[in-house]
Amino acid sequence: MRPTRTAIGLVALTTASLVLTACGRDESGAGAAGQSEEISGGEAEGTIEVWAMGTEGEVLQDFSADFEEANPDATVEVTAVPWESAHDKLAGAIASGETPDVSLIGTTWMGEFAETGGLMPTPEGLVDESEFFPGAWESTEVGGTSYGVPWYVETRVLYYRTDLAKQAGWDQAPATWDELKQFAEDMESGAGAEYGLNLQPGQTGSWQTVLPFGWSNGATLTNEEGTEYTIDSPEMTEALDYYTSYFDAGLSPTRLLDPGELESGFAKGQYGAFISGPWHTGLVEDAGVKPDQYTVAPLPGPESAPGNSFVGGGDLAVFEDSDNAESAWKYVQWLAEPEAQQAFYDEVGDLPAVQSAWDSGELAEDEQLQVFGQQLNSAESPPAVPTWEQVAAEIDSLVEQAAKGGLPADEAVDEMQSKASRIGTGL
Amino acid sequence: MVTLTARRSRSKPPTGTPSRHVDPTRRQQAVAAWVLALPFLALFVVFTAGPVIASLAMGFTDLRSTDIRDPFAVEFVGLTNYTDLLADPLFRKVTFNTTLYLVLGVPLTMAAAMAVAVGLNRVQRLKGFFRVGFYLPVVTSIVAVSVVWKFLLRDEGGLINTVIGWFGVDGPGWLDSTTTALPTLVVMAAWRNFGALMVIFLAALQTVPRELLEAAETDGATPWARFRHITLPMLRPVMLFGAVITSIGYLQFFEEAFVMTKGGPLDSTRSITFFTFDQWGFGNYGLASAAAYLLFIAIMLLTWLQFRLLREKD
Repeated sequence: MRPTRTAIGLVALTTASLVLTACGRDESGAGAAGQSEEISGGEAEGTIEVWAMGTEGEVLQDFSADFEEANPDATVEVTAVPWESAHDKLAGAIASGETPDVSLIGTTWMGEFAETGGLMPTPEGLVDESEFFPGAWESTEVGGTSYGVPWYVETRVLYYRTDLAKQAGWDQAPATWDELKQFAEDMESGAGAEYGLNLQPGQTGSWQTVLPFGWSNGATLTNEEGTEYTIDSPEMTEALDYYTSYFDAGLSPTRLLDPGELESGFAKGQYGAFISGPWHTGLVEDAGVKPDQYTVAPLPGPESAPGNSFVGGGDLAVFEDSDNAESAWKYVQWLAEPEAQQAFYDEVGDLPAVQSAWDSGELAEDEQLQVFGQQLNSAESPPAVPTWEQVAAEIDSLVEQAAKGGLPADEAVDEMQSKASRIGTGL
Repeated sequence: MVTLTARRSRSKPPTGTPSRHVDPTRRQQAVAAWVLALPFLALFVVFTAGPVIASLAMGFTDLRSTDIRDPFAVEFVGLTNYTDLLADPLFRKVTFNTTLYLVLGVPLTMAAAMAVAVGLNRVQRLKGFFRVGFYLPVVTSIVAVSVVWKFLLRDEGGLINTVIGWFGVDGPGWLDSTTTALPTLVVMAAWRNFGALMVIFLAALQTVPRELLEAAETDGATPWARFRHITLPMLRPVMLFGAVITSIGYLQFFEEAFVMTKGGPLDSTRSITFFTFDQWGFGNYGLASAAAYLLFIAIMLLTWLQFRLLREKD
């Protein structure tokens, strides 16, 4: 007798028959349900379990003391989850039904988690959609239904060395695509920069820099309903062609920089400019760039600044399996109030997703921050569909082929479209 | 004395008439064995056999990450995942890359291990020092090794290009070119892996009978002939073992590329395991399982082939 083999055989048989008999999916995807019903008024009660990642996870517990004070019957329990394992932990929690009540969710994960049915649609009237930056709000909408509330945002702007720009004859930031190109050339010829503008030559995450050029030029990624990809437009081709011209002209390096290389190169004057998010102000200053040596500016558009940029960040979502959903939404509502948003900025430096939080305090006074605030008004988020990460990886790979493999822009864009259509939206 | 004989007579029934009932002592032993094995068996079924079979089953469905709340509500798609993979140009490319890792990496690693083992077998002084030195990379974290090598291999300011620059050679950006990136990773992987094989070869070299070598020497055999016709044939079983484990390692090539090149430039260092990792990350659980099983089949076939080619011919 071979008991082990018999056991394995039995398990295989059971699994196979379960799979075979129970197969067939229902077609109701995300968005079919509509928004949740309005929550009742009054104070929050009970325990609210919250997951948050990174710095947010570390400070949120103390930050929530004000909420607990205003709602004496409620206790907030924050669990800090590292970003690296957050996606798998959330997926595992949703699969097992053992979720927290609230979690911070990266904007590009919204499509996937909403489609599992694990997230609860935002209740009617919880927050006013128009208070948020439009791009940030879009990141919560999957199949036409909103599944959360934007918490904080980040967007990409142009960083450049003002002292080098002055040497090259530029007193102000370039505002159009033509000016940006000229600016990069002058940085090389007039100020001795090795590369005028560092752009990412494809590979992971390059879509976050490439697509804004397309958006600025009027290109869209999907149709109005978000059901089909519309990547292959002349506008997108023109944008990609413009993007890759920087590599052809030697204005941007075609190799992937090592971590830290960009910052130290920027400090040494090797790279005259680059496009990145708010975290880079700290990084370049750590690398030895003095605050008066560089500045940030809105991304140039084809005809005028600001062009469109990418908006990322984090949303707050409540889970279907939450046993304290009502109070959980009240907590989310509190975090999205302008005062709480501003206070949270003061605490960790996360840019508020609520526009009115920018009207006073440091956010209103600091010139650099105001550039980010201005850019956020014209910033878009990628389609919130479950397959976005895969489509983005295909775009990254084709951008790389166009940037260093000599693939013509129109062919690359056609290929993006056919790859994306084959993958589908997954809704 | 009486009890002893009684027991003996029970345990040894007369030959020719086998007893129908099972010996109670043996039955007790069997029960005890099962009870003792149960914790392991339970763990094995739940955490090893279960997932292995579940992933096999997954490969025949269109399971995606969005189905996790209701994993059985998926469509059975037969071999579609497998045919999709074989038709996917990227999968073909990563298969080609993985084959390159294998055919470049295995001979290089084995040759390096053999050369160093033979050399060390002769060294009398500092033997331990060299052994530890060559073995050290094996026990160092792959990620740490890869990060250091990434800096050594940098185009500008990397140690390797600086050194060959002294001889007037302008080194390329080793990891930035589609032609040099993969061979560079192979060299690094060989450097990291040969220590393990070296230790095994070194042990095997000690078992080669000294009399045989001395007899051959007396008969006038050159050192090379002694190595080729005595040492190598005697090492055949060990080399088979080495070839099999090294091949399995190279077929699953992943961490070095993940840290050093992220699969680039232009997917030239992406391997099958890397592809599977990506697909899993995209949430295509069905497709990723199918890719993993294709790799599994390849490993089985290759191992079988090596056993055919390298087994003792007697």
